[in-house]
Amino acid sequence: MQHTITFTFDDKPITVTVPTNTMLSDAAQLAGLDIGQPCGGQGRCGRCAVQVTDGNVRRRSTLRLSPGDVGQGFALACQSVVEGDVSIYVPPQEKIERRLTTDRVVAEVTVPEGYEYPSDQTVRRIHLELTPPSMDDQTDDWSRLQTALRLQANINKVNVSLGLLQTIGNVLRVGEWNVTAVLEYPLEDLEQPVRLISLQPHHVDEYSPLWGCAIDIGTTTVSVWLVDLVSGQVRAQVAEYNGQIVRGEDVISRIMYANKSGGGQELRQRVLDTINELLETACKRVKAKPEDVVKATIAGNSTMIHLLLGIPASNIRLSPFITAVNHPPLMRAGDVGINIHSQASVDCLPGVASYVGADITAGVLSSGLDVAEDVILFLDVGTNGETVLGNRDWLVTCACSAGPAFEGAGVVNGMRATTGAIEEVWVNSDTFEPTYRVIGGGKPKGICGSGLISLLSEAFITGIIDKAGNVNLMKSSSRLRDGAHGGEYVVAWGTESESGEDIVLSRVDVDNLLRAKAAIYAGFTVLADTVGIPLESVSKVLIGGSFGKYINVEKAVQIGLLPDMPWEQFDFLGNTSVRGAYYALLDWRKRDQITEIAKRMTYIELSADNSFYEAFTSALFLPHTDMSKFPSVASALER
Amino acid sequence: MPIEIPKDKWPGSIKIVTIGATSAEGGTRTKSISVGGQASMPYLHYEAPMPNKPVIAIEIKSRKPDDWSPLLVEAWGETMAEPAQWAKKADEAGADIIVVALTLADSPEDAVRVVKSVLSATGLPLIVWGPGQVEKDNELLVPVSEATNGEKIVLGICEDKNYRTIVATAMANGHLVQARTPMDVNLSKQLNILISDMGMPKERILMDPTTGALGYGIEYGYSVMERLRLAALQGDAMTQLPMIVTPGYETWKTKESKIGEGVPEGWGDWKARAINWETLTAIALVESGADIVVLRHPESVKRVKGAIEELVTV
Amino acid sequence: MALAGIQIYKLLPQTNCKECGFPTCLAFAMKLAAKQVELSACPYVSDASKKQLAESAAPPIRLITLKAGSEVKAGNEVVMFRHEKSFYNKTGLFIRVKASDPDLAKKVTAADAYKVNYVGMDFSIDGFAIEADGDLTAAVKTIRTVSKRPLILMTKDSALLDSSLSLLAGESALIYAADASNYEPLADLAKKYKAALVVKSDSLDGLADLTKNIQAKGVEDMVLDLGGRNMGEWLARSTQVRKLAIKSNLRALGYPVIAFPCDAKDEGVAAAQAIAKYAGFVVLSEFKPELLYPLLVLRENIYTDPQKPIQVQPGIYEINSPNPESPVLVTTNFSITYFSVANEVEGSGLPAWLVVTDAEGMSVLTAWAAGKFDAERIAKAIKTFDVASKVSKKRIVLPGHVAVLSGELEEELPDWEIRVGPREAVDLPAFMKQALN
Repeated sequence: MQHTITFTFDDKPITVTVPTNTMLSDAAQLAGLDIGQPCGGQGRCGRCAVQVTDGNVRRRSTLRLSPGDVGQGFALACQSVVEGDVSIYVPPQEKIERRLTTDRVVAEVTVPEGYEYPSDQTVRRIHLELTPPSMDDQTDDWSRLQTALRLQANINKVNVSLGLLQTIGNVLRVGEWNVTAVLEYPLEDLEQPVRLISLQPHHVDEYSPLWGCAIDIGTTTVSVWLVDLVSGQVRAQVAEYNGQIVRGEDVISRIMYANKSGGGQELRQRVLDTINELLETACKRVKAKPEDVVKATIAGNSTMIHLLLGIPASNIRLSPFITAVNHPPLMRAGDVGINIHSQASVDCLPGVASYVGADITAGVLSSGLDVAEDVILFLDVGTNGETVLGNRDWLVTCACSAGPAFEGAGVVNGMRATTGAIEEVWVNSDTFEPTYRVIGGGKPKGICGSGLISLLSEAFITGIIDKAGNVNLMKSSSRLRDGAHGGEYVVAWGTESESGEDIVLSRVDVDNLLRAKAAIYAGFTVLADTVGIPLESVSKVLIGGSFGKYINVEKAVQIGLLPDMPWEQFDFLGNTSVRGAYYALLDWRKRDQITEIAKRMTYIELSADNSFYEAFTSALFLPHTDMSKFPSVASALER
Repeated sequence: MPIEIPKDKWPGSIKIVTIGATSAEGGTRTKSISVGGQASMPYLHYEAPMPNKPVIAIEIKSRKPDDWSPLLVEAWGETMAEPAQWAKKADEAGADIIVVALTLADSPEDAVRVVKSVLSATGLPLIVWGPGQVEKDNELLVPVSEATNGEKIVLGICEDKNYRTIVATAMANGHLVQARTPMDVNLSKQLNILISDMGMPKERILMDPTTGALGYGIEYGYSVMERLRLAALQGDAMTQLPMIVTPGYETWKTKESKIGEGVPEGWGDWKARAINWETLTAIALVESGADIVVLRHPESVKRVKGAIEELVTV
Repeated sequence: MALAGIQIYKLLPQTNCKECGFPTCLAFAMKLAAKQVELSACPYVSDASKKQLAESAAPPIRLITLKAGSEVKAGNEVVMFRHEKSFYNKTGLFIRVKASDPDLAKKVTAADAYKVNYVGMDFSIDGFAIEADGDLTAAVKTIRTVSKRPLILMTKDSALLDSSLSLLAGESALIYAADASNYEPLADLAKKYKAALVVKSDSLDGLADLTKNIQAKGVEDMVLDLGGRNMGEWLARSTQVRKLAIKSNLRALGYPVIAFPCDAKDEGVAAAQAIAKYAGFVVLSEFKPELLYPLLVLRENIYTDPQKPIQVQPGIYEINSPNPESPVLVTTNFSITYFSVANEVEGSGLPAWLVVTDAEGMSVLTAWAAGKFDAERIAKAIKTFDVASKVSKKRIVLPGHVAVLSGELEEELPDWEIRVGPREAVDLPAFMKQALN
């Protein structure tokens, strides 16, 4: 029996006649329409979704479609057959891409609900009108300022630095006794004096930005958020690889390097350079000057904080792994070497132990895990794969060295999730031809973390690599070849790439990715095991890390990075460390909460016995040596 | 006071693997040997019957080894120069299976000739090991495999780096493979998965978890075997394979077995100690779940056989 | 049953007061679960919790200590398989002697003096079992002149036992053995002399009845003789008793087991099984170093803590018959690291010397990170194992992961050429072929 199919594409209807049981994708081809099928028509990718506007098709698989999608008439062209006359709307490709039920959008940054300036903020801007001096009132400038502070801002005790004191007389007079003071209120003890950070002539607009910055110093990536403390809004987000990376990819190498003569000083300078350049870029973006930034809150792992402050970190590495300081006191930017206002406070958030630093306490704060009723698992997919498990009653944490692969470092064609990074890959299971999406849409420069996850998963599902990660050179495709480090797969030919060089996934990359994912998986399984909590009882898995805008949960499960749980249970939070620093920068209550979190967390040393090693080698396989832990992947492989 | 005996009822059991084919089965062996089939931890007959008892293989070399202990040379004598004679004597010494270990000096023709001569000298099933180098193994084992099509020989030793060629030729010629991994439960499972992903039926894989000799890491092999067996009984299909281990090879390289002079007095009589070393290593492995133990000294063969008899007698 | 950390945590005050010496109550709970700390370290735990925790912590198999000049312990075991945690109290090895033996003193002296070294540890026998085929009291006297090791007295004659035990004041001997017919007088003696008592029956029912009756007479320290006509039967019984004790918490059989391989068809084989399969005490027929040594090593191996990283013996290993020109490769003593290096090189057919350094069982990167694999340690290994005497070409290949050490190592070993090898063992054969020629 013949049926009439009317496709609408680009507002133009095209009609073809096909017999019963014709695949929609074949009918579309007959109509001259090129519906993308990156996975090779296997119903894996969901890219060929079309909308049935009239009539009906039989859907063999709706794997990529939510029930809501199906309700709206969506069907996969490669998985649906014609059974009668039907009208089909073919949506533009880019709209389809995000129709993947497995995708999770990385949480956006919004000002925390209820943020109130100035009451929540420790740094405040105050306008003062001073009575000009006269022959009758010969009070000195400083006392005059103090009097104004007492009478107009109810501040009885105030501290000032010598540098600032040297400029007071001039500022008061230039402003004709109208000045704007930026003050910092004590964080913990209200009896402590208030500190005068800056004094500017004249009154500035009450609603003009008061700049602060939240900084996350990662082993691989440094992120800076520039924040208007008045509105609470993040006005610029910038990130770059940590300049220390040339001296070693992991914290241990850095500690070793710091031990060498002059090494510590060099590493300190390198990270300061990175931070200062990022601050400059961020400030430029909002047309501010770095000196306008009056507060900095810093999160980072313990080693990074030690190196930033020039504190010897060698004992972090040596048993029994003791830091010099878990919670550094408030310091001045000028002393630390961060090029913002020299009197700005630098607040390094408190950590827990050598391998669980402020990046994690900040991450816990931003994830809300410490106030949750149900048990939540929080994973930081970074160079040090930290894991926190718990709820409002208890918190346990561990760290494992995952390497920088998921941050795009230590991978031949890896890069950060910025413009030019391949962030998603689909591979046709018959031809091994890939389809990829590039951040910003231009020519690819490399592959970022989410792209690597997606690529590794596709390579595995399509048989390009076996479960142990060996590239299968027996498959015939010019994209599979013997490279410098054994078998490799060409994702983008030089003709397509920005550099003109082939972009490849090599055996070494696969090994690095396998180790990274195995370390993270092993970390949280051993942690859960140690406290006696079955993974099934975890209500939510929150994931932090420097990924792009989207993460495909299914792919992360397929490679065995994440546990095989319903997709709804995962949430991607992006960089949780800088986010936590941002919350702490804004609100002193949140800042207190981090201190509380650090006190409550119990650190579990994974190297105490063989269980981590066991779990690690078990996870060093795709998706895992124990397939029964990954039923969804087993059924995907059967298909 | 009546005690109720606690019995584990396991969901899984070990696959039965049959080595060697009789003429009725397309080969020339006088009998085939089956191992596996257990549904309980070793010798707990009150939980589940044991359909096949562990067996003993004797290792012979394709040419007379110059580095074997004088005690072994004394035991096997002149036969060591001629694999067929050696195999015959091993058969008489009580072997259930003969292991023919090829050497680097063998050419493919030598290898085929030696294996064929052993096949005609004895009716026992065979295991053939390559010399242990990827390229050489492939060079020797492929022609041996082809020349013995249908004999259901066990080809070894497959490791994660060289499994593809050996598995492919074993599949093509109706043979079995010995899959070895270095004393790690996960690595064992992974290699079994990789091999069965190639299409090799699990009934044709023997897993070799590797062991150390007594005093040289036996405890790791021992626990890995117990864990593999427990995993298999708990239902993990990728560990439900019979286990082969090589205590003979491991013990006869230790100085406790190999050397008679210049050793501490506390070690006692050389020959008795050397045989104790091999026998006790083998017994510990038999207790932890070995299905095939590959031995070298006829006296150890006798003692281990005796122990197995006691263990399987209900 | 043992409680998991989180269950114990729920019984603690949850105040994170730190007075126990741990940063949080949960950290303390996990230490409790791992039995690495005593509950008494917590000043605020409630009585109810204390009771509950004590019950869960009680050992399912009673600890029996035999004591004289030295002591030997059995029991307190908590698992069926060593990988589940560890086996703790090593099987006590006893040599059987006969009271009638005219050479008794001589034989005991020889066995008592026996000492053998295994990887730096000295092993010896644990005691003597005296068969009362002659004058037991006299034999005890004789033995005590030449040995201070614990004794097992093998007689059912309570008068004889009484006089013998009276010679052993301050000791804890083991009486062999009580059965249904004689347990009452023997239990009285065990109580009087604080001796432990073997109970013997050919059925588990019988053993349980005996231990209950004897316990009712005030004796707690007992040891089980399981009987059994062959290795298979003994293994079944030993497994059943262990499982009943630790899985079913059956107190009546929660005692260590004694085995008599001396009566078996093949003593060595039966003794090996007894050591592997749960015997607390093993009695051997005579003092034979050629059997004793392998048994002592087996016992050490089986009772090694499996939670410790898997290590190989540090030293210099020969691969593919190296000659003085062959390269010297360096790695750590983590077994998997050693295996992957050794296997790659072995598989390549290229000769090499492999120096395994003592890195406390850590892999190259971990050891380096923890400061256990540095230039100083490598140099020390090269010197200790006298590598220089084996090679004419003084060339060391470092793992690529620790390339940073090459400078320091050159300083430590000035007359050696230091080469940086590949990071991964897989690449070693290619490196050895290309870079080392």
